[in-house]
Amino acid sequence: MKNLLSLVNGPQTFGQGRTFWSAALLLLVAALFFPLFVSNYTVGNVAFFAVWVFMALGLSLIWGYGGMLSFGQTAFFGMAGYSYGVIAINFGQQSNLTFLSLILALVMAGLLALLIGYFMIYGRITGVFVGIVTLSLTLTLATFVNQTAGPEWRIGRARLNGYNGMTRIPPLSIPWVDGKLYFEGTAFYFLVLALLVVTYLGLRILVNSRFGNVLVAIRENPDRAELLGYDIRRYQLAAFVIGSTLAGLSGALYTAWGQFIAPASMALPAAAMPIIWVAVGGRKDLTATMVGTLLVLWLFQSLIVISQQYALIFIGALLLVTILFTPGGYLVWLMEHWQAYTERRRERAVPLPSGRPVAEGAAE
Amino acid sequence: MTALLQANGLEKRFGGLKAVDGLSLAVEEGELHCLIGPNGAGKSTFFKLILGRYPPTAGTVHFKGEDITKLVAAARVRKGMSVKMQVPGVFPQLPVVQNLTIALQSHFGGSDLPREVERLLAFVDLTRDARKLAGNLSHGQKQWLEIAMAVGVTPTLLLLDEPTAGMSPEETWKTGEMILSLNKGGMTVLVVEHDMAFVRQIAKRVSVLHFGKLFAQGDIDTITNDEAVQEIYLGKGHHAH
Amino acid sequence: MLQTISYLYQVADVFAFLVLAAAGLAIIFGMMGIINMAHGEFIAVGAYVTTYSYQAGAPLVLGILLGSAAAGLFGIALERTVVRRFYHRPIDSLVATWGISLIMTQGALLLFGSGAPGVGTPFGSVAVAGGSFSIYRLVLLLIAVLVLAGLYLVFMKTRFGVHARATMQNAAMARSLGVPVDRVYAATFGLGAALAGLAGGLYAPTMTLSPMMGGSFVIEAFVTVVAGGADVLVGTPPAAIVLAVIKATATSFYGQVYGVMGLLVAVCIVVRVLPDGFTGWMTRRST
Repeated sequence: MKNLLSLVNGPQTFGQGRTFWSAALLLLVAALFFPLFVSNYTVGNVAFFAVWVFMALGLSLIWGYGGMLSFGQTAFFGMAGYSYGVIAINFGQQSNLTFLSLILALVMAGLLALLIGYFMIYGRITGVFVGIVTLSLTLTLATFVNQTAGPEWRIGRARLNGYNGMTRIPPLSIPWVDGKLYFEGTAFYFLVLALLVVTYLGLRILVNSRFGNVLVAIRENPDRAELLGYDIRRYQLAAFVIGSTLAGLSGALYTAWGQFIAPASMALPAAAMPIIWVAVGGRKDLTATMVGTLLVLWLFQSLIVISQQYALIFIGALLLVTILFTPGGYLVWLMEHWQAYTERRRERAVPLPSGRPVAEGAAE
Repeated sequence: MTALLQANGLEKRFGGLKAVDGLSLAVEEGELHCLIGPNGAGKSTFFKLILGRYPPTAGTVHFKGEDITKLVAAARVRKGMSVKMQVPGVFPQLPVVQNLTIALQSHFGGSDLPREVERLLAFVDLTRDARKLAGNLSHGQKQWLEIAMAVGVTPTLLLLDEPTAGMSPEETWKTGEMILSLNKGGMTVLVVEHDMAFVRQIAKRVSVLHFGKLFAQGDIDTITNDEAVQEIYLGKGHHAH
Repeated sequence: MLQTISYLYQVADVFAFLVLAAAGLAIIFGMMGIINMAHGEFIAVGAYVTTYSYQAGAPLVLGILLGSAAAGLFGIALERTVVRRFYHRPIDSLVATWGISLIMTQGALLLFGSGAPGVGTPFGSVAVAGGSFSIYRLVLLLIAVLVLAGLYLVFMKTRFGVHARATMQNAAMARSLGVPVDRVYAATFGLGAALAGLAGGLYAPTMTLSPMMGGSFVIEAFVTVVAGGADVLVGTPPAAIVLAVIKATATSFYGQVYGVMGLLVAVCIVVRVLPDGFTGWMTRRST
């Protein structure tokens, strides 16, 4: 346990003490028992929320830790979603290999990310131009798929269906004792929860490792990192591919849950959503991103019942206020101030043998 | 014996201008070599050619006997060079201790890493500020942090480009002492400098550049008393104090 | 013969559209280093004011000028309150103006509903070599050229222009020389917004009015600005020509959709090959 803690804690993430991890554990337990108290429908809905978190965490890695603003998350979302659809429709159902379809969908998203990432990063495209290029490519993909409505647009038995979207995609299932276990409702919820825990912990380990150190160094001063002997492009490409594949995971899960995927998931305004979630919560910290994404999604869903316009206006206003006052993200701002507060308290509480407290450099 | 660093006939053209013009220079192992010259003499350009920031239009660079002319900067650093550029290059939003960790982590492992970081912090007098964000250090402290980062990887050749730029006289002196002690420990150092007092403090061997060529070379006293050198700094008819 | 004329007409048409759509964005980007994601909404403001003025009885030309002015004033107001905190922070300004864009489009949807009757395209069409071409769109080409010429005069021959170019080069230096930098920024942003409003007003007769209509301009505008680079006089015209050719060619072979895709792919290639856009390429050639 101690070893695991030393791996997931580190300079790149807030929340390392006992309080934090106890709270996290409690939340996990609550999440495990949650389905007992609510309807299957609600459970499915909550799982649907959680599906988007992978995309947000991926963007946090690419943008918050890697310093590259990628507008491409929804492109990989769509790529994996459509790949899952195509593979599952053609092969999945009969051979009970929908999970293989999921994995292959991730591979497809990863390959696309490798291609785009290589083009950009080794082409020395930096800063805001990464955003522009990824946005352009995302819109290109969305525009292209949008006009594939005709029956000639098909891969095997799967029709792309243009702006209407691909339908009748088999859900995730595995062979079970008496036929098949379909991952819907509660089963899907537990699957997503498990994936979320693994992803979160895995990313924490990654960003707090030597890889993570170099990645944030590249974000801070790429020139200096290079002059320390690091091949910065390799690190950037790795972060980009991992983060984009996570977006693919969101896409594949979304498609498997709803049995549907459409180009609207890739185009504006969908393409802007990950940026908004991550910007509001805080891109520099994984926990802030995760919590922030869930919060904004929940707020958005609550408001969209009233009116889609109000919901989007709220989001726009939230974005503006966040960038104006806490450009690093609202939750990160809270965490930073909390950390400063606890450090000051610790400083004041260190007593000399004479009993008088004295300010000292905070030991950790 | 082959010099540690050997530049042969280096030339760098920018459009019509030859910033470095057929420069050949050798730095022996264990030397503390200073590169001086008036503004525009080509010191910075030469420095960047050695580092590998851009390729020369002609000439070669050899390091430890190996031709490194075609290698990029990161690759040259991996071969045992280390550099500190003129403008402080630290990681501003990361704490000081993490700046050092990043510099050292590919050279030290396990429990050696934090120990080395501690040692270097003490060497540049930054132990008290270890948890401060590097961007919040004073200018001089940033320079020292970067020197610590450059030095901590125990390079074979340390390249310094005006390391005391923007420092107070006390800080400059301290930096000089630091460099002298490093050199005494066996590190080869090549320093580009403007500040003559600093050069006096540390230099054993001095090369003077002028119009991209090697103008004079020798130990510090010979050079400062050389009338031709005085002229290129101060113009004809002038003599240094 | 008809095909050639038709093709040239298409290129000219796209060129005019790109120049008019991008001019405002380019000026703002070149001067203040910010990416204005609300650009499409300024265009929409111009279009709406123009249409409503026309329907209230004003002549079309007046309506267009009003639209442009309205957008300009709105831009200045926005600059003074929000945008000025984001100068030379392209990523933060991108996100912030995105928020503004969302608020504007959704707010407009609430207030005006999703569509409104537009103005018909004036001037009718002319028959050449067996094909029929809209005169209005040729007028737009003329206006695009006039806009470029006008911008040249403003930036090169007026005091404001000198101040603006000084501020663009080195704001701190300009300030210490007595240039009222804050006012230059506000005026420039207003100018950029007014140009966007002009584009909206000019194209309003050719489109259906809708709060989302800015979206039809935004991709083209962005692509042109990225390809053109920071200087609207040196970079935007060549970028617009090249992109117009690409779009017209792609459209005539494969249709509208591929035209847009062609632009998007082109911008990726340009960013890769000419990092400072055509501005960088043109200025490098002259040294």
